[in-house]
Amino acid sequence: MNGKKNFWKTLARQKTLCFMALLPVLMIIVFKYVPMYGILIAFKNYKAAKGIWGSPWLNPVLKNYHTFFKNVNCIQIIWNTLKIGVLTLVFTFPMPIIFAILLNELKGKIYKRIVQTISYIPHFISIVVVCSMLNGFGSTSGFFNDIRAFFGAARVDMNNGSTYFLPMYIGSAIWQGVGWGSIIYLSALSNVDVSLYDVANIDGANRWQKIKHIVFPSILPTTTIMLIMNVGNVLNSDYTKILLMQNSTNMSDLETIATFVYRQGIVEGKFSYATAVNLFVSVICFILVFGANMITRKINPENSMW
Amino acid sequence: MLTKEENSNKIYIGSKVFDVFLIVFMAVLSLVFIYPFLNVIAISLSSNRMITTGQVTFFPRELFFEGYKLLFKEQNIFRAYGNTVIIAVATMVLSLSLTSLLAYVMMVPDFVLRKFLAIFLLITMFFSGGTVPTYILIQRLGIYDTWWALILPNALSAYNVFIYRAFYKGISLEIREAARIDGAGELRILTTIYVPLSKALYATFGLMSVVGVWNSYYEALLYIKDPDRQPIQMLLRKIVFSSGTDSMNDTNLMLASGALNPLNVQYACVVATIGPILLVYPFVQKYFAQGMQIGAVKG
Repeated sequence: MNGKKNFWKTLARQKTLCFMALLPVLMIIVFKYVPMYGILIAFKNYKAAKGIWGSPWLNPVLKNYHTFFKNVNCIQIIWNTLKIGVLTLVFTFPMPIIFAILLNELKGKIYKRIVQTISYIPHFISIVVVCSMLNGFGSTSGFFNDIRAFFGAARVDMNNGSTYFLPMYIGSAIWQGVGWGSIIYLSALSNVDVSLYDVANIDGANRWQKIKHIVFPSILPTTTIMLIMNVGNVLNSDYTKILLMQNSTNMSDLETIATFVYRQGIVEGKFSYATAVNLFVSVICFILVFGANMITRKINPENSMW
Repeated sequence: MLTKEENSNKIYIGSKVFDVFLIVFMAVLSLVFIYPFLNVIAISLSSNRMITTGQVTFFPRELFFEGYKLLFKEQNIFRAYGNTVIIAVATMVLSLSLTSLLAYVMMVPDFVLRKFLAIFLLITMFFSGGTVPTYILIQRLGIYDTWWALILPNALSAYNVFIYRAFYKGISLEIREAARIDGAGELRILTTIYVPLSKALYATFGLMSVVGVWNSYYEALLYIKDPDRQPIQMLLRKIVFSSGTDSMNDTNLMLASGALNPLNVQYACVVATIGPILLVYPFVQKYFAQGMQIGAVKG
């Protein structure tokens, strides 16, 4: 009772602070929490005139999920999402780590800084620009086909069909992310105790041994945390990019859950259905993050996120 | 069996070879990062004949400015620039001020709602409403097809609040106590002590927010229907990905006659879109890397 009274007393004393937090908190409630409440329409027959609460419940409540899993393309869509997500993770994740280790080994401070600065540039380029470039480079007279021609292969329109989608999608993701992604590992490496290297030199360790025994252990915690975060995002393929790379020749091959949600929900206006599908992915993502973290905690508690 | 000296000699030579290899490798890699930009600029300025025969690499061949002329003549590019700048500045100002307010309040050690606010924010990092519920919200708030739909939802992110708070925590609490004893109110302490002491933070996050807005198209695709209110990325998207051959403008006439390559106008627009970023990049890049480090160390 006393504690409660104290709480209100302190709160009254701190009313300036409360007042300062008021507007930001309101913004978060409106733009973050209200949409969470809006997820309810996944189980309702949403009618704009009746609002979210007033719209009738679906009968059965999980009707949208029945529809989705009965959809002939459902397996294909889930498979596409998984394939793009897993392959992107496998190929993009190690790159910044390798790049950071190599940069760390690079001699010459100024040269190193120049390489670093250049490597960040692609990160600041918008996805529309990247896809515009891919679109041009993949055309028959484009840069990618120049390379093909150089090696004696025939020129093909790489934007036609889905054959070249994955290499272009993943390749551009690496190009954009490798430099920027390396910053976090480099800052972990800059915290390594220099005397470790001195000791290794005295023991006659070679470059590779030093990397293996000093560099790897020092970036392991960062790597684990990044991996957990990335595993959670494995189904959140970059749909803004896929939407741009889709065209009439590859649409059906490249449909992922997120682009499906966009097309069903926004383009076709099936609000409830799209929300239900979106929720399905969110739940799986959530389970993935927790799962990944739990496994890490079992193996090495110090590296887990919580 | 090698003697110890021979062994260390071998390590030394191997290490030198590796160093040289690394220097060359990094030079090649830097070229890979830069070449696409050079190629895009070169193609935007080259003649159709040179482009279709794949002869343009680093430099323009048979210099040709028509792509840029048409871009500026037939597309509303200055309006798109203006729209983007307004949206970017508004988002930045709103984001910096709201984030500062919340982060400051959460930094005060004896504030009773501190724990509650932390959980309140943390939840938003793990759950979100998703595309459609947000879309419905925007419609119901009556800000659909206005710039507010692009500005307001992005004003606050939990992640930024936590980083600001960590940064503020690095400022000695004694300064705050001294100011309080002198009779300064909380808002005054924030604006006259914490904000000036966090210049690096504001430079970094201000820039990041501007770049973020400059580069985003998806929200405009969702919420903006009026072509006159579209930001620059939507204009680029329109030019590159929805080739409209229906209107009989100069661009299409020249395309039909073979005088113009579609890439001339498309890449001219790419250059116009990334130009401002590439121009300021050398001067502000240290703030970006710094921001990532603030996040890495404290976040």
